[in-house]
Amino acid sequence: MAKQYVMVIQASKCIGCQACTVACKFQNEVPEGQYRTKSPAIGPTGTYPNVKLYFEKEACQMCKNAPCVGVCPTKASYYNEDGVVLVDANKCIGCKYCMTACPYDARFLNEETGAADKCSFCYEHRVSQGEKPACVSTCVGGALVFGDVNDPNSEVKKLLDKHKAEVRKPEFGTHPNVYYIYEGVK
Amino acid sequence: MDITWGASASHELAWGGIIAIYLFLAGVAGGAFLTSALTELFSKNRQLKVIRAGAYIAPVAILIGLAMLVVDLGKPLSFWKLILYVNFHSVMSIGTFIISIFTALAVVYAYLVWMAAAAEKKIQITVAGQEMAAAKATGIQSWRKPVAVIGSLFALGTATYTGFLLSAVTTNGLWHVSFLGIEGIPFLPILFLVSAISAGLAATLIGAVDCSDLTAYKKADIILLAIEIILLAVLYTSVKAAFFSGGMATLFWLGVVVVGLLLPLVLAIYGVTKHKNLVLPVCGMVVVGGLCLRYFVVYSGQLFR
Ligand code: SF4
Ligand code: SF4
Ligand code: SF4
Repeated sequence: MAKQYVMVIQASKCIGCQACTVACKFQNEVPEGQYRTKSPAIGPTGTYPNVKLYFEKEACQMCKNAPCVGVCPTKASYYNEDGVVLVDANKCIGCKYCMTACPYDARFLNEETGAADKCSFCYEHRVSQGEKPACVSTCVGGALVFGDVNDPNSEVKKLLDKHKAEVRKPEFGTHPNVYYIYEGVK
Repeated sequence: MDITWGASASHELAWGGIIAIYLFLAGVAGGAFLTSALTELFSKNRQLKVIRAGAYIAPVAILIGLAMLVVDLGKPLSFWKLILYVNFHSVMSIGTFIISIFTALAVVYAYLVWMAAAAEKKIQITVAGQEMAAAKATGIQSWRKPVAVIGSLFALGTATYTGFLLSAVTTNGLWHVSFLGIEGIPFLPILFLVSAISAGLAATLIGAVDCSDLTAYKKADIILLAIEIILLAVLYTSVKAAFFSGGMATLFWLGVVVVGLLLPLVLAIYGVTKHKNLVLPVCGMVVVGGLCLRYFVVYSGQLFR
């Protein structure tokens, strides 16, 4: 059975330390001022005793029905064999069409290469070598879980079965592979 | 930027003014070519000045537009990969071929028109060279009508493509809006086609302003402006009000509606037969309005998606 990599983010465990933000910049040599991922604070909202604040890790949502792939004129944006959306920087001409199509603002034009850039699930350097993505390995609060959802024994599969998970902006019909669990968010 | 606290950093828009100008110029090129070619093919008192102005404006506008598109790329020098790698699902990929063919035809057509004009001049100057120049011209000039016909099809394709490019972005509420809510009929290609013909016609008339009788063209202009006003009213009721808010409100109401449509419409009706000196201001405003419309759609769609 084909693999289906997903990332599950448990918002209640994220302490907003930005270790993932930094690890990603290390691993992927992202230019200064640009980010494949960041975890901004959402809130605080509400009034005492119901004040709420959490961090939301933002990055490419690895859509199964990805608008960025459809519009790309050169097929530089593509799904690889494991369902991961990637950018072939060599084929990319930097037309930015994909950036207008992505509803999550996940993409940017890499200042150094001139090509579209975004989270790759660390596919080439880590996941294809059997390792976890850099942000997942480094996560201090244990909020990030990564794995193959088609594997019934995987941690991600168990998490998704047990908890109520959401995807961002489902109204666009993009069917992301990044899930958010907000249980326990205070 | 404060990434931790998410102080929503002013996110840079993917497509800015350069793309808006490119879409505008592609429309002007298509409209100018159609004005010239249709005059050539169907007009009884073939207005040479109109034919020439339109024929010359088209290749110049599309070539400048393409140059702008290329410099806006993250990797300008790799633009040729657009032709090497094809994605039939991508409107941009298909459009690349439509625009390339249109550009080639526009250049050929302009050359043929220019050759005929040059030959005519020669005839006037030297009676001796008359026969020769005329003979040489007729051979190759027989290509002119077929080039005008096929070129017109690609001009229509180019003008509508600029709309399809945006309407294909399904995640954008303004760009992807459908015509009167009819699924499968995108709105922008229709609006951009009408606006392209109107702006291209106006640009051509500016180039042929000292022409004796432009009444037919002025009437066409009035009809196009009226259609555009109806289309914009449809758009206004079809999408959420936010798209017409903030900094975009001035651009839309002043630039697109007042300067681009209402003022020229009133002036054009007022001066349709007489008042020759109204051609320049009317057409100038229509062209400016066309540019404002592209700016408005490109920016507002990204700002308030
Ligand atoms: S989040 Fe954006 S960049 Fe990532 S797959 Fe979806 S549309 Fe593409
Ligand atoms: S910027 Fe690159 S990846 Fe994005 S649509 Fe253009 S060619 Fe494709
Ligand atoms: S998976 Fe890799 S590329 Fe994506 S956010 Fe994490 S570290 Fe960055």
